[in-house]
Amino acid sequence: MHFENGIVNLASWLGNVILPTLSGLFFAIAIVRFAGPGQHQSWMYTGLFCLMASGILRALEFLSSQRPWNDPDLYWISVLSLVNWICNVAMPLYGVLQIVVGIMHFAGIGHRIYQGASWMRHFAAAAGCFMLSGIVRLAEWFVQQGAGGLS
Amino acid sequence: MATPPLLADIIRLLIQLLPAMALLSLVLAGIALRLEGGSTFLIGGSFTKWIMWSVIMVTLPQLLLWFSFFGLPVPSAAGAIGTSWLAGIHSDVATFINTFIIGRLTIVLAAYFVVRAVLDVTQDGHPLASVLTAMFLLAIPATANLMSGLQTASRFAAADVLDGLWNYLAGRIMPAAAGLAVVGAIFNFATHRPVMRLIAAALAFLTMSALWRLVQQMM
Repeated sequence: MHFENGIVNLASWLGNVILPTLSGLFFAIAIVRFAGPGQHQSWMYTGLFCLMASGILRALEFLSSQRPWNDPDLYWISVLSLVNWICNVAMPLYGVLQIVVGIMHFAGIGHRIYQGASWMRHFAAAAGCFMLSGIVRLAEWFVQQGAGGLS
Repeated sequence: MATPPLLADIIRLLIQLLPAMALLSLVLAGIALRLEGGSTFLIGGSFTKWIMWSVIMVTLPQLLLWFSFFGLPVPSAAGAIGTSWLAGIHSDVATFINTFIIGRLTIVLAAYFVVRAVLDVTQDGHPLASVLTAMFLLAIPATANLMSGLQTASRFAAADVLDGLWNYLAGRIMPAAAGLAVVGAIFNFATHRPVMRLIAAALAFLTMSALWRLVQQMM
């Protein structure tokens, strides 16, 4: 029994067994919060992050191997790469998402026939409850699409 | 004047019991690790003190080379213990430590730390500290073998073992700990606690050697 094996297996068990299992719970909480007055986005993102634990670690490993292991600038380059990735990959995607949301709001979906009307929110929550397994499978499918990692 | 045989055998007994004493020090180090946090430890605290003692016990024969280097004669401690009752003491103490303390008692202690991990959660604590301590206790024989494998035959053996342990920590343990940091960051995100420090720590865990070089470059 080696200490190193224990830590590796503990991290693997938490990241690949427990967190993906909990993701379903977090999506369920997100739907319950969506039906009520509380904010639900963070629970939805948590469910997604639970499925991406290995991917996040692989991304950090990729970002921290941009220079030789003994290069004094490695940590700076790692942080720089992380900032570059967030600013040049994640933020443009977030911008596209905001444009989509803006168009939906402009079309009135945001305040005339969407969450502003409680009957619509409750019907959407009910649909989410019935489709919870499908939502988790869909999230898993999205995560699997990124299994190739960063490049 | 020649060293009396009984005195030479007592010296051999003490020297040959050192590996068993190193195992005992590691058990005490494991308990100190939990007291100091479990997932972290104090430099200069009890954990490092017991690790230092175990390193000294593993490398004491090499440390004695310093006396030869200074020109002081050191009686040879090599060879078997000639006095039968001293040999019996060595055999009994080594068997007691290996089969009872390390083989059974430490494993039970590790099991108690797993119970403690669950109790930590009930009191709004974190189970990781006790789980890591249990793993440390279960891995004591492997850790002792690792320390024995790291030592060199020179009088600098103690520093070489500490150097090797740092490399093992930075090169093998820390990258695995990065995975735990990512999992912790996700849990923190779910519970609306700070996330960025754990992501920054995960990056640091993955670049530990480079950080050491960076500090050296700054000097």
